[in-house]
Amino acid sequence: MSTRPPDPHADLARDALPPPPGPELIGGDHTLASVTEKIASITLTRRTPLGWFVGFGIAFTLFMGLLWAVVNLLFVGIGVWGPNVPVGWGFDIINLVWWIGIGHAGTLISAILLLLRQQWRTSINRFAEAMTLFAVACAVFYPVFHTGRPWLAAYWLFPYPNTMGLWPQFRSPLIWDVFAISTYGLVSALFWFVGLIPDFATLRDRAKSKPWKVAYGMLAMGWRGSARHWHNYDTAYLLLAGLATPLVISVHTVVSLDFAVGIVPGWHATIFPPYFVAGAIYAGFAMVLTLAIPLRKFYGLEDFITLTHLENMAKVMLATGLIVGYGYMVEAFMAWYSANEYERFMIWNRMTGPYWPMYAALILCNVVMINTLWVKNLRTSVPYLFFISFVVSVGMWLERYVIIVTSLHRDFMPSSWGMYSGTAYDWSAFIGTIGLFLTLFFLFIRFLPVISIFEMRTILPEAEVKEDA
Amino acid sequence: MKRHRLYGLMAEFHAPADVVAAARAAHEAGYRRLDAYSPYPIEALAEALDVHHSRLPLLVLLGGAVGLVAGYGLQYWASVIEYPMNVGGRPFHSWPAFVVPSFETTILFAALTAVLGMLALNGLPEPYHPVFNVPSFALATRDRFFLCIEATDPRFDQTHTRAFLEGLAGVGPVNEVEP
Amino acid sequence: MSPRTAARLGITSEATSRGTTTDLVELRYRGRAVVAPALAVPGHPDETVTVHLGYGRTRAGRVGSGVGFDAYALRTSDAPWSGGGLEVRKTGERYTLAITQQHWSLEGRNVIRAGTRAEYDEDPHFAAHLGHKPRRELTMYPEYKYEGYAWGMAIDLNSCVGCNACVVACQAENNIPVVGKDQVARGREMHWLRVDHYYTGAMEDPDTYFAPVPCMHCEMAPCEVVCPVAATVHNEEGLNDMVYNRCVGTRYCSNNCPYKVRRFNFFLYSDWETPSLKLGRNPDVTVRSRGVMEKCTYCVQRINHARVQAKNEGRKVRDGEIQTACAQACPGHAIVFGDVNDPQSEVSRWKADPRNYGMLEELNTRPRTTYLAAVKNPNPEMPDREAASPAASHG
Repeated sequence: MSTRPPDPHADLARDALPPPPGPELIGGDHTLASVTEKIASITLTRRTPLGWFVGFGIAFTLFMGLLWAVVNLLFVGIGVWGPNVPVGWGFDIINLVWWIGIGHAGTLISAILLLLRQQWRTSINRFAEAMTLFAVACAVFYPVFHTGRPWLAAYWLFPYPNTMGLWPQFRSPLIWDVFAISTYGLVSALFWFVGLIPDFATLRDRAKSKPWKVAYGMLAMGWRGSARHWHNYDTAYLLLAGLATPLVISVHTVVSLDFAVGIVPGWHATIFPPYFVAGAIYAGFAMVLTLAIPLRKFYGLEDFITLTHLENMAKVMLATGLIVGYGYMVEAFMAWYSANEYERFMIWNRMTGPYWPMYAALILCNVVMINTLWVKNLRTSVPYLFFISFVVSVGMWLERYVIIVTSLHRDFMPSSWGMYSGTAYDWSAFIGTIGLFLTLFFLFIRFLPVISIFEMRTILPEAEVKEDA
Repeated sequence: MKRHRLYGLMAEFHAPADVVAAARAAHEAGYRRLDAYSPYPIEALAEALDVHHSRLPLLVLLGGAVGLVAGYGLQYWASVIEYPMNVGGRPFHSWPAFVVPSFETTILFAALTAVLGMLALNGLPEPYHPVFNVPSFALATRDRFFLCIEATDPRFDQTHTRAFLEGLAGVGPVNEVEP
Repeated sequence: MSPRTAARLGITSEATSRGTTTDLVELRYRGRAVVAPALAVPGHPDETVTVHLGYGRTRAGRVGSGVGFDAYALRTSDAPWSGGGLEVRKTGERYTLAITQQHWSLEGRNVIRAGTRAEYDEDPHFAAHLGHKPRRELTMYPEYKYEGYAWGMAIDLNSCVGCNACVVACQAENNIPVVGKDQVARGREMHWLRVDHYYTGAMEDPDTYFAPVPCMHCEMAPCEVVCPVAATVHNEEGLNDMVYNRCVGTRYCSNNCPYKVRRFNFFLYSDWETPSLKLGRNPDVTVRSRGVMEKCTYCVQRINHARVQAKNEGRKVRDGEIQTACAQACPGHAIVFGDVNDPQSEVSRWKADPRNYGMLEELNTRPRTTYLAAVKNPNPEMPDREAASPAASHG
């Protein structure tokens, strides 16, 4: 066979990278070996740090609160929570939307930033996608257990052939939720698992004890890094990213339609889908920051999760926060502009009615505080970013509270107006889901590589294959 | 057909450029039954081995199409044919509503096809493979690159192939791979 | 007491998620004293306090003992019904009242429509002009044809005096559970039918309006569309059917009902233990369990009974043969139920009345329960009688 001329399109290939990233994306002097060792050693260590046990202990204790709440729900009734007529939904749906929203950042980082060739996604996408999966796990507690009869809701909401000949009612946004969240959970899990396969192989080859070798080996499914396999793998990875991208947009759109399809003033607004999706990414990046900052500190990963990453995440938060703020303005403007007496009352009631402190706090967190990120010094200050990530998480929780509770408590018929507040069981369930989330996250840190090892290798300067003649 | 007591010969490299050049050289030398191993994907490497279009995109497209038909079909059948009910005065065939779950099932089926298809096309899970018999192969998931020419290749000859491999630029040890 | 008196005394009430909290006051009258929660009611005379006799019992069984305060403690034999010289003093403590309707202002909305005789004479269709009812053809969806019976209800607001007999009748007929003070305070009362009452106009001399609000059985029901399991669907006779055994209790239907006529069993409210209660129940009506939504069914058990009987006798159901429990109990004949497909039925004639309107029609729910607007006839020679209709501000 004659000599083949160099492929002129090789530069466009995914791995013919742009100039190697500067120190902003990987700090220190790292090689393929050191990157592998640094990340794998967290997982393969025999000596679990004491701090991990403390953290896991706290998380697990909080998780027990969830179990207590569930038992009460199942045996006593949904009445131990706060909802009534007119406010049929309270903490249950607030927390559902909060958790699902948080999950969206992980998929955006994994999928959308991959397609946009944003290399700064590389060190954060693994734990961000794990965050997504755990957030979805916490979220799905609510659609099942907020119902009056969860033992039936758990399967009647799914389409399956049955002796009654009944099927779900497909015009209901709650069924759209079932499809969307199931798909989202499954696709995220698959995407995450596929990304883990080469890393499982790394861990299998590094593991010292036989049981761990076998365990990781089974998960790796015999991966050996064959170039032929990598080819199919890369294609699958890109395709999954391309499929997960519309999910980022559509899943929270479907969740927003839970409200927008309803006729309640304050819910029935076309701004909801983009406004919710932006809000989801906003809240999600806040949670990624909340996780990334302690993670890099306690495990010494500052070289991989650098200030550049944190700053980029802060910028995304700022951008989506501005969109969310725009959503608030549009809501208020349209309520007035519509000249619809119910809409106008709704927005007036939000701002001046019995729940006005929640609305004020919401504006403070999501509109005022977020704009401090325009200041570079604040945007690059790690303690400030950590603080702001909590502010945003709280602000987004308040947003769902305001949307759900203030719209429901005073709608069309004044005779039905009422008030809502969360009960102790509501809080224990919510804190319990936070406990569940942290429990899963601590387990993840302990047993799985928190950063994508094989992807980190690709952004090292020594990994580049120069296409010379 | 000659039966060899080997699976093949494997050369170890330290630098990615070397293994890519080696793969090209091997391909030019006429070897076809070969594979290269790296700790991360290298597109040039796949190109050098003459591995081009994956069948996966087509499979995923078909999977998505099946998902779309299945999702919409289920809703249509259940709401129009099997158990039509007057729900809020809306027509039985509420196609605007049906669009949403159909969209989701399309993505679901496509994603499942992508994953299962990738595993199937790669022949995974494959718990055993002869290359694992070489102790230094554990470094294939760290910072070493390997090129393995299989004994079943028509041009394989233990002496000549070994000489060819040892003559490549940047090569490290060349090991025999037990089957 | 009146709002003005309450304001003077510094007595405030607040609607909370656990009920209406209000001040406990000490009533001191001719040497006797009693402590009671105070409530401001518009239209009550100033500097006067009304107390109700019959509460505060100590030996009335497990249901009646310890409820309320004993107003007999203030009663004298020489003036058993009223007297002067009452002292009212705040004790500083708060008390929770369980009130099913926490908000009495109509807020300028047109859910209750009323006019004066003069307005009616000038324009008999004044009620329709107080709202915007969309044209029936203005929809993307094909019209659903109701052949056969089409059940509907009309309620004459002129005749309703707010006596609540309909509410009691509905409760008895449909095995509606009693939930107790704590749950009512949390907004979880189970009455399928409620009587809304609104005050409009000046606080010292308001106009009062009553409206019984059952399920509207909307032809384009917002509740039906959002149920994920099809537990509430529409039947061929126009009834919004509630299927208890299919309901999983997501409560989306209750959120989406603009009339808020749906009730949810947050706990197992029905007493399944006490034998005497079991005997007291209507055997034709399901006793609902925990986690299930319920609402007014137009007394579907009575409809079914009449329809079956008529079919057996080879005839159609006669007008007036089916009386819903509320219609049956109303002393003022304010509620009428029947077949709207029959132009001769009483309900069809009522709906043809120019005063007829549907609540929240602009939402295009197409309610089968409609109202006949109230027409008041104030004497124009009475001073300060600006009898404008309560929704006059709405165009």
